[in-house]
Amino acid sequence: MRKRYFIGGGILLVAVIYLLYLSFGSSVSYYVTVSEFFDRGTELYDTDIRVAGKISAPVNWNAEGLDLAFTITEGGDDMAVVYRGAKPAGFKEGTDILIEGKYQSDGIFQASQLILKCPSKYESVVIE
Amino acid sequence: MIALPVTVFSAVASVIGARAESRRLAAGARSGILIVFGLFTLALALILYAFFTRDFSVKIVAEHASRELSAVYLLSALYAGKAGSVFLWGWLISLFSALLVFQKRDNHQQVLPYAIAILAIIEAFYLFLVTYGVNIFARQPSPPVDGFGLNPLLQNLGMLIHPPLLYLGFAGFAVVFALVMATFITRSTDMWRNNLIRRWTIFAWCTLGIGNILGMWWSYNELGWGGYWAWDPVENAGLMPWLLGTAFLHSISMRRQRDYLHTWSFCLIIFTYVFTLLSPFITHGGIESPLHGFYGSPFPPYILAVMMVVVAASFTLLYLRRQDLKGKQKPASLISREGAFLLTNIILVVLVFIILAGTVLPRVIEALGGAKIALDRSFYDRICGPIMLILVFLMGVCPLFGWGKSIWKSAGRNIIFFFLAVIVIDAAILISGIGNWYIAAVILCGLPLFIIFREWYRGTAARHRSTGKNYLRAFFSLINSNRARYGGFLAHIGIVLVALGIIVSSFYGIERTATLDIGESMSAGNYKLSYSELIFKQDDVKVSAVASILVSENEKSVGIMRPSYAYWFSHDDFFAEVAVRTTAAEDLFVSLVWTGFDPEDRSATFRVLVNPLIVWIWVGGAFFLIGGAVSFCTREKQLSGDKE
Repeated sequence: MRKRYFIGGGILLVAVIYLLYLSFGSSVSYYVTVSEFFDRGTELYDTDIRVAGKISAPVNWNAEGLDLAFTITEGGDDMAVVYRGAKPAGFKEGTDILIEGKYQSDGIFQASQLILKCPSKYESVVIE
Repeated sequence: MIALPVTVFSAVASVIGARAESRRLAAGARSGILIVFGLFTLALALILYAFFTRDFSVKIVAEHASRELSAVYLLSALYAGKAGSVFLWGWLISLFSALLVFQKRDNHQQVLPYAIAILAIIEAFYLFLVTYGVNIFARQPSPPVDGFGLNPLLQNLGMLIHPPLLYLGFAGFAVVFALVMATFITRSTDMWRNNLIRRWTIFAWCTLGIGNILGMWWSYNELGWGGYWAWDPVENAGLMPWLLGTAFLHSISMRRQRDYLHTWSFCLIIFTYVFTLLSPFITHGGIESPLHGFYGSPFPPYILAVMMVVVAASFTLLYLRRQDLKGKQKPASLISREGAFLLTNIILVVLVFIILAGTVLPRVIEALGGAKIALDRSFYDRICGPIMLILVFLMGVCPLFGWGKSIWKSAGRNIIFFFLAVIVIDAAILISGIGNWYIAAVILCGLPLFIIFREWYRGTAARHRSTGKNYLRAFFSLINSNRARYGGFLAHIGIVLVALGIIVSSFYGIERTATLDIGESMSAGNYKLSYSELIFKQDDVKVSAVASILVSENEKSVGIMRPSYAYWFSHDDFFAEVAVRTTAAEDLFVSLVWTGFDPEDRSATFRVLVNPLIVWIWVGGAFFLIGGAVSFCTREKQLSGDKE
């Protein structure tokens, strides 16, 4: 009886770890800061990546075409970013942001997703 | 006024320390608990008084309240801060311990003193956090004229109820944990058949579940992104103890019937309790979360330490009592009801394991000097989706099994064919490529509903025949006859509804974003939205722009929706207030995401979502509540006679 449990448990464990490994591999994305990105030369161009930095001027928001162009900065490096879609709530200069997308060879980061970190002022947001 | 409670607090903490040793002096211990509760309540009253009189010389009041904040939200301002939320939690535990003191002692007299002692130690920890960790009564050196105010996102009904419900659930599990530990210390295994543990578990499970669903509701209605779940570490921290609690609930209901798996249930409750501590560990900055804000509070190291102490102490006890844990019955066939229960248990634990891995692993890798990595939500969706579907399937199969018998003996042949049919149809859909996972999932969800209704119908019909009552009365007397079982069914219906809402809305949702001028319109699904006017309003706290949108569905006008966008002075930022039109079939969700506040150019950007079946997620939550309540009200007599 005991043996059966161990075998069953073993199979289950292997299955779970395999499943975890599979999904981990495909859902994981590396993230770097702006200066780390440029330190790597052209290595990270054209790959799916997340880059962390602070939003800085100039921020151009074209409501008509739903285009948002801005710069992120970190460690003395700047990166130009364009994003198609609505400007997210809380988007303003000085906010920490995580952008997801690809850095094109034309020197502009095409962002597919913007993740804003709550700035320190909203500490009170957390309550759970 | 401020210094008094602090001194009282430290005194109380020492009283508890002394008490824990003299727990055999049961009477003294009981009054100790009551005194602690009284002092805790007094402190709570003082804090609330400071909030309601807007005494900005108290730090947490200045940080989270303001003159304009309405009285209702002053309450939520209390638990908007770290110290306040831990304080509320601690107060709930002291309330529950006081309730235990008043519990009838005839059949628990051995167990209760130990449970109370454990709770006293837990309380001491909370007291320590809110006095030495962060002093809740800390003064603001130079009191501001007005407080900072509560984040507008938190000024919402859901946020008023969601955190206290979570804390009720967390505190409830602390009680269950204490009770279970006490049964092991005293070796009174008959406690397992007892209603006390069962009731506390149902109570904690139910409040935590509804708390999570209310959190989803808040996120959906207030955050403006139209989603309700983002697999954020903070959300995961609320979900994991609930999943473990679900497993524990099922393992104790099985133990009533079958005498095995003691070690398993024991481990489950230990980890359920430890995971309730994980939530403050994460929110207080232990693990970085992108969606919820965070800031360094001094709590995480303490919490981590306590988690370790709890695990170490519990497992030491487990080791010392290992002889008591040997089950008397041999496990039965896997395709029987206990087989299904066991499988459900294992799957729930696996699910928690995966979510934990996703939450913690990226941070661990980073801490070990590896690459910084981030998991996107597809990780969870892809892996947890199928696992949750297996659970739904098991929920469907389970009522057909008898205890200890295999399905072939207990269920009719035709129902098994029905099952096979569902599986074959699902497989056909997937393989042929006509449908996709989502359709297959919906069909699968129909299964438990069908089985439950069939059980109800047969039971009702049988009662109708035997007692001559009409169908409605027969139905209620059926539920009444075995509240534990039928309450469980109600909760299962809730789960299926939630699952349906999630599956359908995440797959068949429509999203459109557009910038419109007055007079222009956009369409989304069957809806046409015409932007007709934008009004600017100003009051003491904000300037807002309120848009009016005429909505028509299939060319028929169905009303006006008014989403708004506001600039809040206190926070120097913009917040959107969404408009939602709910029907049983779908929600129309309109969010005004941008406007220039320019009277000359009133163009505005709207985000429109059509989310089918989403309302059923909230309805499912209501079923949890009803199911939990029905099951909670089971009398002890019924339990012992429950051979179903």
